[in-house]
Amino acid sequence: MGGGHEQVRQGKGSGTYGILDMSRFYHALSTPAVVLLTFLFLIPLSIILSKAFVGIDRGFSFERLASLVTDAYTWRILRFTLVQALVSTVVSVALGLPGAYVLASYRFPGKRIIKAICTIPFVLPSILVVLGFVIFYGNNGIVNNLLRMISGSEEPPLRILYTFGAVILAHAFYNFPIALGLISSFWEQLPSRYGQAAMTMGAKRFTVFRTVTLPRLVPAILSASTLIFLFCFSSFAIILVLGGGPRFTTLEVEIYRRARMTMDVEGAAALSLLSIAVTLLLVALHLWAQRAMAHQEEMESPGQRRLERRPESLLARIVLPLYALATALFVLGPLFGIIYRSVQVPVSRSGDSEFSLRWYRQLFGLEEVAGSAFSVAGSAIILSLIIAAVTACLSLLFATMLAARLRTRSGSKELTMELFAMLPMAVSSVVVGLGYYLVSNIFPGSRSLRTALVVLAHVVIASPFVLRSILPEFRKIPFSYTQASLTLGATVSQTFRKVELPLLRSAMATGAAFSFAISMGEINATLVLSDSNLVTIPIVMYRLIGSYNFAGACALGTVLIAVCAVVFAITESIHRSRYV
Amino acid sequence: MKKHCLSLVLAVLLIPATIWAGGKSEQSEDARQSITVYAYDSFVSEWGPGPLVVPAFEKKTGIAVNLVSAGNGGELLSRLVLERNRPQADVVIGISDELLSETVASDLLLPYESAALSQIPAFLHFDPTYALLPFNYGNYAFVYDSAKVTEVPRSLDDLLDPRWSKSIILMDPRTSSVGMGLLEWTVAAYGDAWLEWWKKVKPNVLTIADGWSSGYGLFTEGEAPLVISYTTSPVYHVLYEDSDRYRAVVFDAGNMAVIEGAGILRSSRNIDAAKQFIDFLLTEAQADIAVANIMYPVNQTVELPAAFDFAPKPQVSLMLESERIAKNRDTWLTEWVEVMSK
Repeated sequence: MGGGHEQVRQGKGSGTYGILDMSRFYHALSTPAVVLLTFLFLIPLSIILSKAFVGIDRGFSFERLASLVTDAYTWRILRFTLVQALVSTVVSVALGLPGAYVLASYRFPGKRIIKAICTIPFVLPSILVVLGFVIFYGNNGIVNNLLRMISGSEEPPLRILYTFGAVILAHAFYNFPIALGLISSFWEQLPSRYGQAAMTMGAKRFTVFRTVTLPRLVPAILSASTLIFLFCFSSFAIILVLGGGPRFTTLEVEIYRRARMTMDVEGAAALSLLSIAVTLLLVALHLWAQRAMAHQEEMESPGQRRLERRPESLLARIVLPLYALATALFVLGPLFGIIYRSVQVPVSRSGDSEFSLRWYRQLFGLEEVAGSAFSVAGSAIILSLIIAAVTACLSLLFATMLAARLRTRSGSKELTMELFAMLPMAVSSVVVGLGYYLVSNIFPGSRSLRTALVVLAHVVIASPFVLRSILPEFRKIPFSYTQASLTLGATVSQTFRKVELPLLRSAMATGAAFSFAISMGEINATLVLSDSNLVTIPIVMYRLIGSYNFAGACALGTVLIAVCAVVFAITESIHRSRYV
Repeated sequence: MKKHCLSLVLAVLLIPATIWAGGKSEQSEDARQSITVYAYDSFVSEWGPGPLVVPAFEKKTGIAVNLVSAGNGGELLSRLVLERNRPQADVVIGISDELLSETVASDLLLPYESAALSQIPAFLHFDPTYALLPFNYGNYAFVYDSAKVTEVPRSLDDLLDPRWSKSIILMDPRTSSVGMGLLEWTVAAYGDAWLEWWKKVKPNVLTIADGWSSGYGLFTEGEAPLVISYTTSPVYHVLYEDSDRYRAVVFDAGNMAVIEGAGILRSSRNIDAAKQFIDFLLTEAQADIAVANIMYPVNQTVELPAAFDFAPKPQVSLMLESERIAKNRDTWLTEWVEVMSK
């Protein structure tokens, strides 16, 4: 196990400050993240999961796991879970790749806005995504009503929803921004000289892409795929509703059934253990593949950064706008659906409606509603923003520290840690929720403590994201840079701050944006840990829907979209301006 | 850069901490004068009964109430069971008759025969041990869009008619209590032959949603003209949208009932205050709860707004014995999945 360390130490340790100092420094750096993960996540989770080994007679036994593994139904739903996650991942990456290329290589007006808009699906709770899809693509949706007007037919001309395709479509809508964001920020930093060299030698553009660029993108593609796969693996609301029912059942549905409907926490724990085993196995495979395939990549230093071209060739001029239009329709359609619904008020029984800002007035307390205190939106927005901003900062800090430790990927210890850091994404949120009951029970009381707990839980949830966006980039930093800095007399911590961190800016910005978005949209942990003392935007939205007010929820969803768009646009402009 | 980031983090962390430090002092009040109440989230929410009921109770009795949102449906009971060794709550609100067997078996609740029970009709006394006391109830019903449906179905059998092809939105009983309610309804109506109804209804089902929220949302978006919900659902549209477009239908053979219960924890150190709260819940709070939850009050002396005229009361409220539910729930679900996933 220590062999890897040893080799590095002997082979490359030549600076004034040795590699030993370095590895100590990075070990120390990663400590807070490890402590947080352990106490807020690993320990409560282990307590819940240990219930999987409680036998019928309350003694220790493997009978629950054994009966699960021997049940054909378990394998059937596991197979479906894997298939839908795999297809969704492939489609999301395929959709994101051209976009990542465009963002990484061209300069055009509106680029920032596009990048910002693409992150938005991510902040929306799944119920709102379902509604957005139905409002836009549904049998009675915007698209079908337009087509009906044109064709004059009574029947909905386009039946997209309630099929397997609709599930994949919704997953792609949700997840292709991950591919787009992670791959494009990695691509931007890729040296272009190899491609240029290949072209000079007569290679065609596509050949260059296939043989030179694509292999170099592998780390980023794998990173994005892992995240998307894990997301889709635990999806269930979207799958049931848009897939049309129990024909499409994932493991998560069965975990939910046991934990919430049949009061079988032990059964839920057993099933969850099985699903964790499968996902971790797959993540481990990914990490292994990434290690085997990715070469130590040289990084374009900021000075030589490739000039972004303007689209010049005829092909680029035609294909680019087409892709942009298709993506815009795809992403903006359901978002538009939500916004559209939020400004509609029914005026007649037959379903006619007219434009009105009534729901917004109610949300912001400008219009009193009988028997209810409606003016919660303002404080919910402020609280959500604070929590999300702190989460973004903290998860960025923690993930960067972890990444510093994991970059060397020398031993199996590092591999274990990397797996461990991915764990929050691999565990069913229903089971994590049960774990949080235990945490919440230990910390009764004050509101500030609850806020801190919610923030920390968000950090745990968001960290795998930030880690996956930073790590591939960190591993690209040539060891010679670090060595040079040490040789020139800088301390290890100076090197980290002045040499390594600045090279990670782009990846850090992407990670922070996602972390912010995850926190803005998070609901499960917030509900459990805050005991309802903290009211965030998704909680208000959920409550509005629970009390029949779907239009009000869409109005708040629109506010959420707007707030995130503004925040992302600001971050994006800061991140841009630093380069120029 | 890291320094900046750290100080920023600290600053942002401190702001909320100072703002809410005030909330802490409430905790230190005399323990005898306060109770902790666990309820489902929509009870606690801005639009739920909590913000109306709690201040009224506090004003009347001087007992402070710490209302905690502790999950929905089965989560409430799971949480109480998980907290068995470190109990926090004095009162729990919102465990339905569905989970009566499990609740009684957990032995966490203290039986209490409130005097207010005399104002509640006998069929609502769902727990003969009175560990759970009824505080509101509803009937599951199919809600239809009167702009599209002219000939209203009058029975579960009517829903099997081919004219409803892809016209009904249901919910998955594995993830939704309303979905479970319909499953039990078919068991109550057809006995052992209940699965036949499900086999036949399949072609008429547009989709089976994960929960009531998404299912009902699809319905109001006009995806299908029929949805499983409650007899009281139209009240919302009348009260807040001034529309009587969506209507519930009661069946001649009866509609499945769901009764929500509240109870006192044995571990409570404020049994007397907890009892006062339950009494209040069953009497003075009834109208507020009914209107905010859009459910029927259990107390027959309560006067309701006119909008409740749009919530038709079925002649028969169907129910299943709780032991039967507890014993068969898992088997039913497995059989249901078997039929519906083909």
